[in-house]
Amino acid sequence: PSCLCSPFPVGYSAVALNHVIDLKEKKQEIVKPLPPAELFPSLPIVQGTSKQIKVLNRLTLVVSDPSHCNLLRSTSTNIRLYDIIAVFPKTEKLFHIACTTLDVDLVCINVTEKLPFYFRRPPVNVAIDRGIYFELLYAPAIKDSTMRRYTISNAISLMQICKGKVSTHRENKVINSNASGPLELRGPYDVANLGLLFGMSESDAKAAVSTNCRATLLHGETRKSACGVVYTVKKPRKVEEEETTLPACKKAKTQV
Amino acid sequence: AAFERRVLRSAAEHHYLRVRLELPDGAARPSAALFKQLVVTALRELHGEVGAALPVDVLTYEEKTMSAILRVISSGFVKLWSALTLLGFYQNRRCAFRVLQTSPFLLALSGNSRELVLD
Repeated sequence: PSCLCSPFPVGYSAVALNHVIDLKEKKQEIVKPLPPAELFPSLPIVQGTSKQIKVLNRLTLVVSDPSHCNLLRSTSTNIRLYDIIAVFPKTEKLFHIACTTLDVDLVCINVTEKLPFYFRRPPVNVAIDRGIYFELLYAPAIKDSTMRRYTISNAISLMQICKGKVSTHRENKVINSNASGPLELRGPYDVANLGLLFGMSESDAKAAVSTNCRATLLHGETRKSACGVVYTVKKPRKVEEEETTLPACKKAKTQV
Repeated sequence: AAFERRVLRSAAEHHYLRVRLELPDGAARPSAALFKQLVVTALRELHGEVGAALPVDVLTYEEKTMSAILRVISSGFVKLWSALTLLGFYQNRRCAFRVLQTSPFLLALSGNSRELVLD
């Protein structure tokens, strides 16, 4: 909570508290997130406006086994209380599953060690079409120089896979911090500059901190609220082949 | 793209940054020379010897608030800013550089609309 006092002068307008669950350990249950009102009696105000900062809850699942994904599919009530759900796949198969079928908002890209698998283009394309964003963390880069190297190399390889994709939305990355203290947080423009280091264009880098994050929030909201979609389609009228010889009142009344 | 940046031909030679160093309570405040050394160390850690050789000048430095105005050649602006962002430690203590304003013109650093107080 003390580290949350510093995003305010730094210039963020929404913060998400992350709960990490590592499913490798036994008997992990998804706990209910604390509502933000209990943690902070009064939320500080966004710099430059008079609104309060939005505090959201976020769940990160570290999956290293396909059976862990069942937790997501089962509609446990606690999952619905989280605003954003992120998954952290550890193997290539899980990365594929996460991009194509899992119902998540973010896929975390590991930055603390060399990626055990290479990205391939098909699952990445599917993920972008579904509206799932990839997430890069920058707090490890501040702590340690080896992690800095891994962060940059993994980010660059992700960029290479996503580039050259023929689509209108090329922006599909989100850069987040994993700060464990107030001095590990950096301002939004600083983080956008890091995006330039990773090889993004300038508009992509700024979007990675602003637009894409907001899109992730909205994706989470739609995931929480949508159960099914009903839409109407205009049915084309059947064209009669013959000219009607009967007067209209005697025509069979089975036409739709 | 929703956001487009245009670079004019007669672009300014230097970029100016107003930065502030944040240290945990009780840490010793660096002097001006140590501050410059910290900036060069940050560049060396991220961009190596070539980065450390970047011509950076500390134009003003206030020891009380640990805030300074830096000047860097425009081609090295992104390198300097990313190096300052990713600096983690000063004398084995956590630190953070907060970049308050940047501009290719020094005059623009005199007013900060974020700290504007409306009567």
